[in-house]
Amino acid sequence: MLKQALAALAVSGTLLVLSVAASDSAPAPAQPVSAVSARAGQSKATQFELSNGLKIVVIEDHRAPVVTHMLWFKVGGTDDPQGLSGAAHLFEHLMFKGTKTVPNGELSKTVARNGGQDNAFTTEDFTAYFERIAKDRLPVVMGLEADRMVNLDLSEMNVLTERDVVLEERRLRIESNPQALAQEQMDAALHLSHPYGRPVIGWLSEISTMTRDQAIDFYQHHYAPNNAMLLVAGDVTPEDVRKLAQEKFGGLQPRMLTPRVDVPPPPRLAESRLQFAIPGTKLPQLMRFYRTPSYGKAPKGVPEAMDLLSAVLGGGPTSRLYKTLVVDRKLASEAAAFYNGNSRGPGEFGIIATPRDGVSFDALENATDQIVRSMTMSPPEAGELERAKTRLVAEYTYQHDNQFALAQDYGTALSIGQTIADVEDWPNRIKAVTAADVRKAAQTYLLKEESVTARMQPRP
Amino acid sequence: MRLRTPSLALALALMLPPAAAQAITVKTVQSPTGVDTWLSEEHALPMIAVNVALPAGSAYDPSDKPGLASLMSSLMDEGAGDLASDAFKQALESRAIKLTARVERDYLVVTLTTLSENADEAFRLLALVLAHPRFDAEAVERMRVAELAGLKQEDQRASTVAQKSWFATYYGTHPYAHSSSGTPASLAAIKIDDIKAFAADHLVRSGIKVAVSGDINDAQLRKYLQQVFVPLPAKPVPAVSKPAEAGKPGSHTIVRNEAAPTAIFGFVGPMRLDPDFIPAFVANYIFGGGSFSARLMDEVRDKRGLTYGISTQLVDYRSASLIIGSVQSDKAKILTALDVTKSEMARFAKDGATAKELADAKTYLTGSFPLGLDSNAKIARTLNGFQQSGLGADYVEKRNAMIQAVTLAKVNEMAKKYYDPAKLVIVIAGTPAPAAQAEKGAAPSASR
Repeated sequence: MLKQALAALAVSGTLLVLSVAASDSAPAPAQPVSAVSARAGQSKATQFELSNGLKIVVIEDHRAPVVTHMLWFKVGGTDDPQGLSGAAHLFEHLMFKGTKTVPNGELSKTVARNGGQDNAFTTEDFTAYFERIAKDRLPVVMGLEADRMVNLDLSEMNVLTERDVVLEERRLRIESNPQALAQEQMDAALHLSHPYGRPVIGWLSEISTMTRDQAIDFYQHHYAPNNAMLLVAGDVTPEDVRKLAQEKFGGLQPRMLTPRVDVPPPPRLAESRLQFAIPGTKLPQLMRFYRTPSYGKAPKGVPEAMDLLSAVLGGGPTSRLYKTLVVDRKLASEAAAFYNGNSRGPGEFGIIATPRDGVSFDALENATDQIVRSMTMSPPEAGELERAKTRLVAEYTYQHDNQFALAQDYGTALSIGQTIADVEDWPNRIKAVTAADVRKAAQTYLLKEESVTARMQPRP
Repeated sequence: MRLRTPSLALALALMLPPAAAQAITVKTVQSPTGVDTWLSEEHALPMIAVNVALPAGSAYDPSDKPGLASLMSSLMDEGAGDLASDAFKQALESRAIKLTARVERDYLVVTLTTLSENADEAFRLLALVLAHPRFDAEAVERMRVAELAGLKQEDQRASTVAQKSWFATYYGTHPYAHSSSGTPASLAAIKIDDIKAFAADHLVRSGIKVAVSGDINDAQLRKYLQQVFVPLPAKPVPAVSKPAEAGKPGSHTIVRNEAAPTAIFGFVGPMRLDPDFIPAFVANYIFGGGSFSARLMDEVRDKRGLTYGISTQLVDYRSASLIIGSVQSDKAKILTALDVTKSEMARFAKDGATAKELADAKTYLTGSFPLGLDSNAKIARTLNGFQQSGLGADYVEKRNAMIQAVTLAKVNEMAKKYYDPAKLVIVIAGTPAPAAQAEKGAAPSASR
């Protein structure tokens, strides 16, 4: 999650009617991994490695004289020590608190002074630090990142002050948002003892105990060139980056790392049902999350079918959920589905619907179940599947219009164990999914015992 | 904190501004429609992004029907011409054409995103929407219900509650005072005829601003402009009146049980075309706009841990301008956060900025300009914003020089002129804890 909420003053009062982000920790809108869709159809990405284990990926985008510099570490919420949920995320904040040569706060100021922007985010699976800057400033930001990878210098006071900032972040994002509170509980219920059941931002009672010693221990066991990937997208060549990276990062020594634990998801034998009446809730909501396969683990074709299932079932105003619940039967004011398969562990498929005034949760849930069942009874119609494919395939061109989103797509995919070829072949795999595959995905993965259903009751 | 010397490499890098980055080339496109159109051609990706601003913002809502412009905008993809709602949406989706509409205070902004191979169909559908929206009863009711649900969702968040109340407090009875989303009562009272009448008066050719970026050339665009805008009436729409003296300095609290109350605070700023604007823009960066480089972020977050985020921005409307900020904090800390903000304002007004702060602001504001122009979607949005502000197409070239020309004396003049804590209007959504508790709950470093 972003370290900083650039106070989004939605001065126009635009409605955010439905938030379908699966959890606070999802990095940006959950778009599928995708590829540069240049006219040439050639890979724009190059990959190599330094002798100290630092992996490097370069994605060329020469439209504007700017670069996106991202450093991805293989550490995230899943690596939080037992009893210290939120450690990886709080540590992300601490990475801005200064080194022997760059004092507290100076990193962001130096980047800004050079016309750049910087920030970072943490998910269950990884932590990423980024700068967006004019291309001739690449050496500056690379130097800063190499410095803090190994030279962080944390004072007791800096740790405690930043811990307070994170507690404020939790209040802002979670405690003051009934839907976020409910979704955090749903994730805990869905994943049982798997680390995905813990919030990336941490439980209040745990993160508020983190000490400087714990932070330093975390740093020493997770931050090193052999646990990182440098990704540079923009107006650069692989040769430029190779030379610079060798100069800035080449001298850093690899470290002994705490091995990542790949926790198998525990069995679920029954559906979970949660009934919320969180103070401050004005809008009733029906939400369901299913535990599903992900791009990180499942065989090729399965997550792609889940993406299409989500599009046909609830991906917009021509989807089945919207047409049936909102347009035809007038049971809901909004209804949508999402699939977030960008994870090393299990993925999540979700449905969110808002009952209209006077409509009972029972009526809405029964109707929703009927529609979900329709996806298992027969394959989607040719027209609806075709529209969904067209939309998903076009979406990656639109998304890759944005250099940051482009970098984030490659970075996410590579961080969960995919390859560059996997990323760039994604549109073809989407096109290859058949109607039968979509039906099979619904039959196999939209199982009640793999789900959590929540009803959010209004409460003053 | 000990003072430390940055490494030599960094120190060297800091002395030079970033290389003058080649900004985009903006052409104005002439067409018999007379519509103000800017184009940035860019053929690397096979797509086109279009932003169309029409004089149909929430400020034009009749005083007894707040929410009308917004309800109309929600219907822009709900059918046009012969295509009823579902057929229209299928026409969009079957070619992956994205059409959105959002209401701001002065303008309704319609965005169109399409693969260039589908441009004919995309502009055909845009033309239909603007000239022949349907406003079928079923769609109107469905969108009304969705907007009502949206109001409830807004009411769940302290940030939106504070924001709405701030504008009402500050602008009083002026058309900028009400939220574009209206109220439950006003939404319930809006009739289809109201929507049709509003569309007839406001979906017009005069005053439209069009910005286009992507895989399209001048001649192609001219053809589409004819097709989309010729059918629209050329009725003028007057700008809204200027607000009188802005209201009610002081702190206003909306009593609510909030774990983290949100405060919105603001005061008058210079108009967009006023010579004060650019210097005030630079001053705002130093004070609160500059993220982790801004004084507010330094004092309230970094030094005291009182908030996750605090920032200010300069917001320009056609008839008013604001410097407005927000901060969210624990209920025991929010008053302290606001006290620090006020004392920083007073210090800024009294002592102004330092030469270093000004130099840093300039390198950021000029150096980061290309970052906002590195995609078709961003280019179309940014250019359209410049058009709405009444700037010329040469602004993209001139902007950085205007920022470079700002002197320290001028920034300090802006600080003195605008940053007066006595004129600050504050609205807090959520009940702050008593001061005694605020002291106790403050971070250790707050005592310094």
